[in-house]
Amino acid sequence: MTRETLEVDVLIVGGGPAGLSAAIRLSQLVKARGGEPLSIAVLEKAREAGAHLLSGAVLDLSALKDLLPDYEALGAPLLAPVGRERVYFLTEHRALRAPVIPPPLANHGNALISLNQFGRWLAAQAEAGGIDLFTGFAGQEVLLDGSRVIGVRTGDRGRGKHGESKPTFEAGVDIHAKVTIFCDGVRGNLTKQLHRRLAIGAGREPEQYAIGIKELWEVPAGRIETGTVMHTLGHPLRHEEFGGGFIYALPDRMVSLGLVIGLDYHDPVFDPHVAFNRFKRHPLLTRLLDGGRLVRYGAKALPEGGWNTVPRTHLDGALIAGDAAGFVNSVRLKGIHLAMRTGMLAAETAFEAIAAGDTSAAALAAYQTRVDASAVRRELEPVRSVHQAFGHGLVPGLLYAGAAMVTRGRWLPDLQQAPGHRRMRTLRWYYGIEMASPAASRAVPPDRLLTFDKLTNVHFSGTAHDEDQPVHLLVHTEVCSSICGPEYGHPCTRFCPANVYEIIRETGAAPRLQINASNCVHCKTCDIMDPYGVITWVPPEGGGGPQYTGM
Amino acid sequence: MILVVAEQRGGALNRASWEAIVCAQQAAAGEPIAIAVPGGGEAARLLAESGVGDVLSLEHEALAAYSPDVQVAAVAQAIALTTPRLVVMAHTYQARDYAPMLAARLRAPLVADVIGVKGSGPSATFLRPMFQGKLVAEVSPQGTGPAIVSCQIGAFRADAVVKGAPGAVRVVPVAIDAPSRQTVEAPFQEARQAVDLGQAERIVAVGRGIKAQDQIAVAEKLAAAMGAEMAASRPICDNGWLPMDRQVGSSGQTVAPKLYVALGISGAIQHLVGMKGSRTIVAINKDADAPIFEVADYGIVGDLFEIVPALTAELEKPR
Repeated sequence: MTRETLEVDVLIVGGGPAGLSAAIRLSQLVKARGGEPLSIAVLEKAREAGAHLLSGAVLDLSALKDLLPDYEALGAPLLAPVGRERVYFLTEHRALRAPVIPPPLANHGNALISLNQFGRWLAAQAEAGGIDLFTGFAGQEVLLDGSRVIGVRTGDRGRGKHGESKPTFEAGVDIHAKVTIFCDGVRGNLTKQLHRRLAIGAGREPEQYAIGIKELWEVPAGRIETGTVMHTLGHPLRHEEFGGGFIYALPDRMVSLGLVIGLDYHDPVFDPHVAFNRFKRHPLLTRLLDGGRLVRYGAKALPEGGWNTVPRTHLDGALIAGDAAGFVNSVRLKGIHLAMRTGMLAAETAFEAIAAGDTSAAALAAYQTRVDASAVRRELEPVRSVHQAFGHGLVPGLLYAGAAMVTRGRWLPDLQQAPGHRRMRTLRWYYGIEMASPAASRAVPPDRLLTFDKLTNVHFSGTAHDEDQPVHLLVHTEVCSSICGPEYGHPCTRFCPANVYEIIRETGAAPRLQINASNCVHCKTCDIMDPYGVITWVPPEGGGGPQYTGM
Repeated sequence: MILVVAEQRGGALNRASWEAIVCAQQAAAGEPIAIAVPGGGEAARLLAESGVGDVLSLEHEALAAYSPDVQVAAVAQAIALTTPRLVVMAHTYQARDYAPMLAARLRAPLVADVIGVKGSGPSATFLRPMFQGKLVAEVSPQGTGPAIVSCQIGAFRADAVVKGAPGAVRVVPVAIDAPSRQTVEAPFQEARQAVDLGQAERIVAVGRGIKAQDQIAVAEKLAAAMGAEMAASRPICDNGWLPMDRQVGSSGQTVAPKLYVALGISGAIQHLVGMKGSRTIVAINKDADAPIFEVADYGIVGDLFEIVPALTAELEKPR
């Protein structure tokens, strides 16, 4: 089969804050230089810009101010300045308010945003700068020539359930670029290929992740003041589980709330969605939500490993920016500004390299120099091992985080932690007993007013995929009933927040895994957390996925 | 010279052939245009009458019904005869089928699915969509021989055709040396109309509670007794127990019958959005907490395998 090819100067994979900031920065550099324009393309798997973006979110404005100084005149959708700030430690029934706001959580001067709206706005700025934004096209495969990245192959369209081509079949296109900037987000499928094929993580600490589950609610008037930012620790998580909750009060009685949970928990029957429901049943939340209405639901993994887990981000012909490389400050719960900043630095590096006619890894190493000299390193290096410290429990984690703050990271040891999915214990190890079909730990039945089952929640994510296409979750199902069931009790049915994995038990047959791929909200948790590493998330046909309006 | 390949079926000219002629007229810089009509007939006469160019009626008995081998052989002979610079055709199902083979046979470039012509004469370039229409590529065919162009249906306006003085049809008998490798079968008939559950007055829908494929018969008997259509929730259709066109819900059909009987359906929101507009909803389910009871007008908490046969028996009693 011959494929169409498209030659561009710079290919950016992923239309999130990193990719779009890179695109905008490039268009600015080209415009400032004048002369021959560069051809720049952005691939985005969502049908429209921003539809797959989900975050809290409180935006640190530093990168935006540098990228688009007149962002206010350009109508940046900043929903509200951060006002009242609260930090609570939750027990099952009580909320203990922290007397002072720990400095990393101080958000004065930052703005509440919906990342979905913000992404859509950034995309409009990029398009105004002459960037070609290909929405509805997923990057399927990295194209390599030896160790040089020469571009990306987009996914085929119009394949049926069994891979056969339908009348609408259109083969993916090979996009060749002098420089490819990978901004494919947390656990990006292409960056994962770079890990495998070019060992970009060699010599670095293993990546660490968390899952964030979020809902958007409309609450009765007078419940909470717009701009209020609350963070919680403790309930519903136990000391052995890393994470916390957030509640952000947006304008028009909208409230964004969520729970972030480290994907390095031990309990094999722990279910993040159950924890989220238990979080919502806490009096702090019920007081806020009673009589309100669920508007949107979503989930997304986030990279939490920090500075020491960032892989090699400059390769022959390629750079990696944003969540794909793990540029997130898990102590401040912020990554959007770092994604934007690294996207901008990648753009500057790519621009210079193309002008000089040398896009080798050696030339692109200037990206590393730029990141090292920037606020990104100043922010991330001092807290480089905080997530790993929480791996020893809540109290050691808090102590380490406090020490990192005081010493600005100096004299502190670099802590190590095995990849999170290897920290899950077997049922026998954790509970000391065998279980045939274990239920999720501490589950509460959803009341369908405040708490919902996963399937109902998925409906509120707006997720849709063409049903007649190959399953985009590649699973070695032979381990399911033979090993995984007895050892871990099919944890995929619990860590997936969208009911994609279901075990069908029919009399007279071994339990069988059914993959409801069209429920997938593209959070990547399964690719990260399955204890055997046998689940591979690949992009479904472009355009499919969640519809995160306002998230 | 530009050669347009027209398409006909049973003598009737495919309307898209006019669009191909318009495309050819735009690409021609005063060059003559010839039109080849495989199978000839009434279509050839109609084209000659309009005076759009010399009409070659390619004739052979094997051309009565389309097959790619015969079509390629016939068109290749028309090309040899006219030595055109361009061969233009509409991007029909037939063209999609044989144009690549023709291009390969002649080692000619093929520009498929063209939506516009830029310039005219030998320097003309062709516009075609890429990335589902997000980009338009400007293609300049290379090489010395003829280039083949197929134009997207609707991209050129058939009524923009420039007509001239009526001409005559030139009959060109074509030689088909090798027998076609394809056997022509009876023309394709539209498949049985897909079920339109939206029109049904009564629907019996089954869900996971039915447990096994062979137990669907229990529900089918009830449906027959009620004069209702069968429908299902997603898991049933996913398992292939009922065809996909029976699925009600967000990834299936939306229905609003007078009576909707839900058997063993828990009532996931994805199903409810497809049926909650029904006038009367009857739910039978073992689980009293199932959300289906929130939308049901009548609910029976119990085992459908006891209740449904009893209902069926009652309905089947002569009245």
